[in-house]
Amino acid sequence: MKKIENKPEVLAPAGNLEKLKMAIRYGADAVYLGGQAYGLRSRAGNFTYDEMREGVQFAHAYGAKVYVAANMVAHEGDGRGADDFFRTLQDIGIDAVIISDPALITICFAAAPGLPIHLSTQASATNYKTLEFWKKIGLERVVLAREVGIEEIREMRRHTDIEIEAFIHGAMCIAYSGRCTLSNHMVNRDANRGGCAQSCRWKYDLFDMDGSTARSLIPEGAEPFSMSAVDLSMLHHIPEMIDAGVNSLKIEGRMKSIHYVSTVSNVYRQAVDAYCADPEHFTFDPAWEEEIWKVAQRDLSTGFYYHVPTEKDEIFGKPRKIPKYTFAAQVINYDPDTQIATLQQRNCFSVGEDVEFYGPGFVHFKQTVRCLWNENGEPIDRAPNPMMTVSMIVDQPVKPYYLMRKK
Amino acid sequence: MIRIIATAESLSQAKALLEAGIDTLQVGGHPFGIRLPRALGLEEIEKITETAHIQGKKVNVAVNGLFHNEQIEQLPDYLTRLAAIHVDAITVGDPGAILTLEESGLPLPYIYDAGPLVTSARQIAFWIEHGAVGAVAARELTLAELKKIQAELNKPVEVLVYGPTCIHQSGRPLVTHYFRYAGLADRSEKDRGLYLRDPKNPDSQYPIYEDQDGTHIFSTEDLSLMASLQDLSDHGLNTWKLDGVLLHGGAFVRIAALFVAAKEALEAGTFSPTAFANRLRVLQPKSRPLGTGFYLKHPEDVK
Repeated sequence: MKKIENKPEVLAPAGNLEKLKMAIRYGADAVYLGGQAYGLRSRAGNFTYDEMREGVQFAHAYGAKVYVAANMVAHEGDGRGADDFFRTLQDIGIDAVIISDPALITICFAAAPGLPIHLSTQASATNYKTLEFWKKIGLERVVLAREVGIEEIREMRRHTDIEIEAFIHGAMCIAYSGRCTLSNHMVNRDANRGGCAQSCRWKYDLFDMDGSTARSLIPEGAEPFSMSAVDLSMLHHIPEMIDAGVNSLKIEGRMKSIHYVSTVSNVYRQAVDAYCADPEHFTFDPAWEEEIWKVAQRDLSTGFYYHVPTEKDEIFGKPRKIPKYTFAAQVINYDPDTQIATLQQRNCFSVGEDVEFYGPGFVHFKQTVRCLWNENGEPIDRAPNPMMTVSMIVDQPVKPYYLMRKK
Repeated sequence: MIRIIATAESLSQAKALLEAGIDTLQVGGHPFGIRLPRALGLEEIEKITETAHIQGKKVNVAVNGLFHNEQIEQLPDYLTRLAAIHVDAITVGDPGAILTLEESGLPLPYIYDAGPLVTSARQIAFWIEHGAVGAVAARELTLAELKKIQAELNKPVEVLVYGPTCIHQSGRPLVTHYFRYAGLADRSEKDRGLYLRDPKNPDSQYPIYEDQDGTHIFSTEDLSLMASLQDLSDHGLNTWKLDGVLLHGGAFVRIAALFVAAKEALEAGTFSPTAFANRLRVLQPKSRPLGTGFYLKHPEDVK
């Protein structure tokens, strides 16, 4: 009987402490986050040391790991204080740091010996010799470039035993990560130091020159040129990813919502567990895909895993409309005797609306909101105020941290 | 001593560049060199190397792509051939290629060249520790940063003083994708001469083309540090690169000759930045504005 020797981790983004906890409750084996400096997501809710401490404590209690992304490409002076930073991360109990710049790798080795280092996807690792190079340097893991195909991963696995992390879900750079400075040149923002303005997704004229006159090639009525990739989803190919020898399945999105992170973690947890429990009798559950579409923001594709993407993997003009679900509330308490759940409102919802509850372990049920009470137990028609506490009767038992969404 | 490196697209252009006084020619071929004026075969590289060596000049070969497994497998053979030709150095940015070179034991020095990633002295020092004899600085650095970097290193940091800057490399054929979407039958190769314009910036004009490595986009301006050459030299930034990836034949050679003349004037103490900048403006193709890129910006201007 086929047995999975090397069950990979599901690695989820943690944009802040709340998202970190949700990702882990919903099945992530590991999360990655950014500190106050040295990362690439200047606008993501980056963690203070105290928040990291709390996050590590929480994660370790679940047996989950916490990685910190310090993946900027440092200029002169940017590395100042990085030694203290890495030393503090090690003291806090961070499980690994994600770095792309050899300058920061050098600093980390010296300041925090023994703190595992993962090579960031920003370094564009695309061949097994590169993996071997970083293994010799002493890195524990390499996050592959998104341009690597699954057959190439199999080949890498035949040549090296360094841990391999690969993206399975989320938004993608359309360039080789790290090799795009559109933002630098267009708006003076350094893409490799957290300033990416997503210039690739802008609209452009495409033209040639007739002498000194520009002639646009954009046909009348057509959308302008753009370089906007649809998102990655390898949900249908988890067995192949595992069999290829990937050790960590990475979900993109430190800027994404709790709704997104909990849903995507929940789904991939199921798919990975189902395959690893019984690889020979694994079947794909269509409910997983249905669930993923509830939080999809763009169309989905398999990126470079099976072939170089085609024009279908890019968005020209208006993106396809995807049915939108809204995060409506989070369960904070449940009384089994009365079947009343106490909820914290996250978006307005009303009596009569169809809602869906979901929880860790891929628990789902739908119902109609039949009645609502406010904090004082007075009946109300709708829950309009952000974070207000309300209660309602639920059709099936729920638990704290179950989430409620509506269409 | 100032050394000028210039790209060469053919044996005849290489001869003309040597004639013009260029110290080192940079050439390369597929599938290892990236964004070359033209991909050359090993025979051509050998002839260029012989010609350069007879004149006491040098040849660097670009092995500066991002390699996939398939290319890395072919690399040892290519490196062996380059060593047999006695090229003087290769430029490399893929750590897998650096490991391959180290394992080969071939007498091929390498210069670290990883495009926009080469941004600090400490980083370059890492590659020097792993055998690099020099590095090509990222185009996104300011002069203030470059001076600091060179001051800390005992190996030369190569600075682009003339030519376009690549600002985007995608593994996808982005122009072809658009053509298919828009129902156009057209070509996307370099000689097709296509550009992008950001409507919010009417002066923008980004050259774009496709080849087997994917899609490449370049800056609106050709960089020219003609007016800052004295400053570069005063701070030990003495390895100057002229990139002819988008400018061919005699037009590029004439500009290269002007930079050689500037170097000679500088060494003789007769350099006039304004006069040379004006002469460059006359030679510069009208379709390509000149600029100073990031060099004259303040490091704090870039967020």
